[in-house]
Amino acid sequence: MTWILVRKLLWDLRWPLLVIALLLLAFQVLWAVITARVLGELAPFFTRLASFGGFTRQDIEAQVFSGPGQLVKSIIGGDAIQLDHAMDMLSIGYVHPLVQLILCIWAIGRAAGAISGEVERGTMELLLAQPLARYRVVMAHLLVDCVAIPALCLALLVGNFVGASVITPIRIQEPAGFKTPDALYSVEVGLFKFEMKGAIVLPPEDEEYIAERLAVRPWEFAPGLALVAGLLFAISGATMWLSAAGRSRMRVLGVAILVALVMFLVNVLGQMWDVMAPLRPLTLFYYYNAQAAVLGQGWTVPVAGLPVPTLPVLVGVGVLGYAMAFRIFTRRDLPAPL
Amino acid sequence: MLLQTRDLTKLYGTYRALDALTLAVEPGEVLGLLGPNGSGKTTALRLMLGFLQPSAGTATIAGHDCWRDGVAARQHVAYLPGELRLYETMTGRQLVRFLSELRGQPVREDLEALARRFDIDVDRPLTTLSSGMKRKVALLQVLAPRAPLVVMDEPTNALDPTMREALLEQVRLARGRGQAVLFSSHVLAEVEAVCDRVAILNRGRLVHLGRLTDLAEGRLVVARFDRQPEAVPALAGLTVLPGEPHALKLEYTGPLPALLDWLSRQPLRELRMEPLGLRGVYARHHGAEE
Repeated sequence: MTWILVRKLLWDLRWPLLVIALLLLAFQVLWAVITARVLGELAPFFTRLASFGGFTRQDIEAQVFSGPGQLVKSIIGGDAIQLDHAMDMLSIGYVHPLVQLILCIWAIGRAAGAISGEVERGTMELLLAQPLARYRVVMAHLLVDCVAIPALCLALLVGNFVGASVITPIRIQEPAGFKTPDALYSVEVGLFKFEMKGAIVLPPEDEEYIAERLAVRPWEFAPGLALVAGLLFAISGATMWLSAAGRSRMRVLGVAILVALVMFLVNVLGQMWDVMAPLRPLTLFYYYNAQAAVLGQGWTVPVAGLPVPTLPVLVGVGVLGYAMAFRIFTRRDLPAPL
Repeated sequence: MLLQTRDLTKLYGTYRALDALTLAVEPGEVLGLLGPNGSGKTTALRLMLGFLQPSAGTATIAGHDCWRDGVAARQHVAYLPGELRLYETMTGRQLVRFLSELRGQPVREDLEALARRFDIDVDRPLTTLSSGMKRKVALLQVLAPRAPLVVMDEPTNALDPTMREALLEQVRLARGRGQAVLFSSHVLAEVEAVCDRVAILNRGRLVHLGRLTDLAEGRLVVARFDRQPEAVPALAGLTVLPGEPHALKLEYTGPLPALLDWLSRQPLRELRMEPLGLRGVYARHHGAEE
């Protein structure tokens, strides 16, 4: 009986699911193209440009990511990544705000309407007038998550593979237009025009090192998918909890979006502002360290000085959300449709 | 008893939406549930379907508690809600099939015949149907399972006169098959047309429960006197209603000679007698007719 409901729910969700999956896939491909352009063209250009002023690329990075730029650095992974490494750059595709926004849109949008939406529309009456136990309704939504979340993860992974096939091998293109040292010449970068003279001499990079830092290994994204799934499940479970108690989809949606937004901001600001740092472990996004999982940097985050495993926390929140949804929905009155 | 409620009560804070409702419905019986808006009809139905948890009392269907054992209770019920909401993306056929599968029953073979009877194109998406057509589809899904108890909350809303008659005919056929029907309505004529018994609710309380045939035999008697009459005799089936000074308003279901004998000995100025009917009873409790 639950499967009949699951089948119907999946059929109803087929178009939104397809759109979200394609968005995630397309973004990974786009991010791979951006990565190839940054590593192959822009990084050599700025490295050369910096050399004329007696700086290194790291000096430019430090300048760009200081002050307000620190916000950007926090969002894309902080100090844990090296921006001249392909896998590090590509891993940003899992923590990019746009990706997190798409994941939240799916998890919140679907779960918010799952119960409160049906109550509001009155179709829950139609369902529960049948000999259908209420727990089966929540169970059906849990099973939908069990199908939809892997599908979205698969879309991300396919995006990684397609992106990798499009950009590899990444080739470094020496910037054109630079003159020899000691001559005075102008260089244009977008709207900016510089007068340059001379350059520092950069040691040539080791070929093996170049090959290593430009290598793209799409299978290494698989561990990150576990955390993507964990985040989706956690947000979905928590929103389902709200949905099971609500009777208006928009109200549940509003509350869930507000909570997610506050958590996201607290997590980002906590990386830059020590006063807010202790609040970070209270947010779901703190435990979403997919980038670290992709880069093999571990599966724990520090909480009060102790390493806390990230995936169990995310899954635990999801399980708690669904457990509360079960409890609330099987005990509450079903109000008349609005 | 197929349906039995005992002191069924629903409180919202201090407000009593339903107050100690006790009634029963037998197989093969059509019970009309009457009352104005806010009288507790829909609350009573929602309690019977397990949508609401009773504050006190119980409701059982085929011996199964409607709240604690709701799934087993609803095996015996088909429900047509008053506020009709369907899955608009489905066709009528898909909706009937989906709900039949949820009930664990195959789709009835005579679905097509029933659809033709109601003049429904079951292959059109519900979103393209008018509200009347949607109600017909909803009726189809209620009638299709042939559940022992059919609960209809204002079922003739949005139906044209022809379809209303067809629906009432289906209710009679259901009764003929031994199904019980709980028929909530504002329209007294419909209730009189199909119901065996009627329950009238007022502000959450059951104020009248009786057979329609008894109402047909009863009379409303209005008598005016030149001066105050003697005390009204204690006759079986006689109910004194509130009235003006030097006047009596009576409901009487007993043999007429006994009452006429008493009236003939009073200083009678004017006498009016009419069949009691459902309208009379309803007006007594609600002060106005439908």
